[in-house]
Amino acid sequence: MEFRFFEIYRNAEYLLLLAKGALLSGGITVLAATFGLIIAFAIAGVRFARVPVLTQLTATYVEFIRNTPLIVQLFFIAFGLPLLLGYEWPFWAHALLSLSINFSGYFSEILRAGLESSDSGQREAARALGLRPRPIFFLVITPVAIATMFASLNSQFIFLFLTTGIISEIGVADLTQAGLYIDSRTFRTFEVFLVLTAIYIGISMLFKAVLALVERRLFPWKFVR
Amino acid sequence: MKELLVSLLGKPEGIVLFQLIMAARFTVLLSLLAFVGGGLVGAIICAFRVSPSSLLQRVGGAYVWLFQSTPLLMLLFIIGLGLPKFTGLEVNPWTAAGLALTLYASAYLAEVWRGAIAAIPAGQWEAGRALGLNFLRTLRLVIVPQAVRGALAPTVGFMVQIIKGTSLAYIIGFHDLMSVGKRWANASVPGTEAFLIYPLLALFYFALCFPLSSYSRWLEGRLGSAARSPAAA
Repeated sequence: MEFRFFEIYRNAEYLLLLAKGALLSGGITVLAATFGLIIAFAIAGVRFARVPVLTQLTATYVEFIRNTPLIVQLFFIAFGLPLLLGYEWPFWAHALLSLSINFSGYFSEILRAGLESSDSGQREAARALGLRPRPIFFLVITPVAIATMFASLNSQFIFLFLTTGIISEIGVADLTQAGLYIDSRTFRTFEVFLVLTAIYIGISMLFKAVLALVERRLFPWKFVR
Repeated sequence: MKELLVSLLGKPEGIVLFQLIMAARFTVLLSLLAFVGGGLVGAIICAFRVSPSSLLQRVGGAYVWLFQSTPLLMLLFIIGLGLPKFTGLEVNPWTAAGLALTLYASAYLAEVWRGAIAAIPAGQWEAGRALGLNFLRTLRLVIVPQAVRGALAPTVGFMVQIIKGTSLAYIIGFHDLMSVGKRWANASVPGTEAFLIYPLLALFYFALCFPLSSYSRWLEGRLGSAARSPAAA
C-alpha cells in the first residue's frame, strides 16, 4: 500500500517506451482525424445536396458507425476483413483504417449540422454576385460551416483521442500498449495506469492549446472585439 | 430456447446465437447499472455545480473535468486491475466495471444536466428565493421540473454512449456480448470466423443502440435540446 512511481520514472527504457507510445497515439489520432474529416466532408456534402441513393447509403453508414462500439469495428477490420479477403497489413494500418472510419461517422454529423445551419441569405447573395453552385458550396457555405462548427469539431476530436487506447488490443504499440508492457514487468498496475492517465490528459491539453492557435489563425474575425 | 436455435440453425450457429442472447442480458444490466449509478452521482455533482457555494462549484467542476478527460479504458484498468493489486482487496468484475462506468457516466450526465439548468432563465431562481424557498427546494420544485424538457433528448442520447462503453468491460474479465463474441471469433470452429462473428456482434449492439438514438432524435425534434450529448467510442 505505498506508491512506487519511481519504478517507472527511474527506468530509461520505460520512459522511452512511454514517449514513443505517446507519439504514436497522438500521431495516429491526427492522421485518422485528417482522413476522417475528408470522408466526413464528402458524406456531409452528399447529404446536404440530397444526392439520391448516396444520401440513403451514407446515412446508413453513419448510423451504423455511431451505434456500434469502436472495438467491434476495430476487430472486424483487423481480424475479420483480412481473413475474408486474404490480405495482410501491419497492426497500425488496421488501426488507422478503423479509426478513420469511426471518426468520419462522428465528424460528418457535425459538418452536416454546420452546412444545414448555413444562412440562406448568404447563398442568395452569392448567387446574386453570379457565383455558380459549386463555388457557392466550396467558397461560401463550407468555410462558414467549418467556422461555426470548429468548437464542436475540437471537442469531438479530443473525445475521440481518449478512445484510441483501444487499438492496443490489436497489438499496436501505442501509449496504452506501453503501459501494459511496463505493468507486465513491474506489476505496479495502479501507478502505471495513473501515470498513463496523466499522459493522456497532458496530450489532450496540448491538442486543445494547438487547436486554439489554429482557430485564431484560420478564423481571426472571431476574435475581433 | 437453446434446442430451438440449434435445431433451426444447426451447430455451431445456434449455440453462438444462444450464448450471445444470454450475454446480451449482462450488457443491458451493466448499462442500466452505469446509468442509474451515473445518474445518482451525476445529479449530486450537477447540484454542486449550480449551487451558490463557490467551493462546491469548484469541486463539481474539478470532478467533471477529471472524469471527462480520463479515458474510460484507463478507469477500467485503474479500478479493475490496479486497485485490487494496490490494496490487496478483491474487486469482482461487476463492481469494477459498474464503478468505472458510473464515474464516466456521472461526469457527462452532470454536464448535460447543468446545460439544461443553465437554459432556465435566472428569474426562475429569483422567483424561488422570493417565495422563501432555499437553494435545494428551488432547484427541486422550480428549476428541475422545467429543465427536464431540455435534458431528456441528450440524456437518452448519452445512454447509447454507455452501452457502447460497456463493450470495454471484457478487458477486466466481465462476461458480456463482447467477451462471448471474442471467444468464438478466436476459436477455430468453422462458421464462427471473425468476419461472421463481429458483424453479428455489431448487429446486437446496433439493435440496442439504434432505438435509443432514434428516440433521442425524436425527442429533440419535439422538445428541443438544451445541451449536446457527446458521442464517440
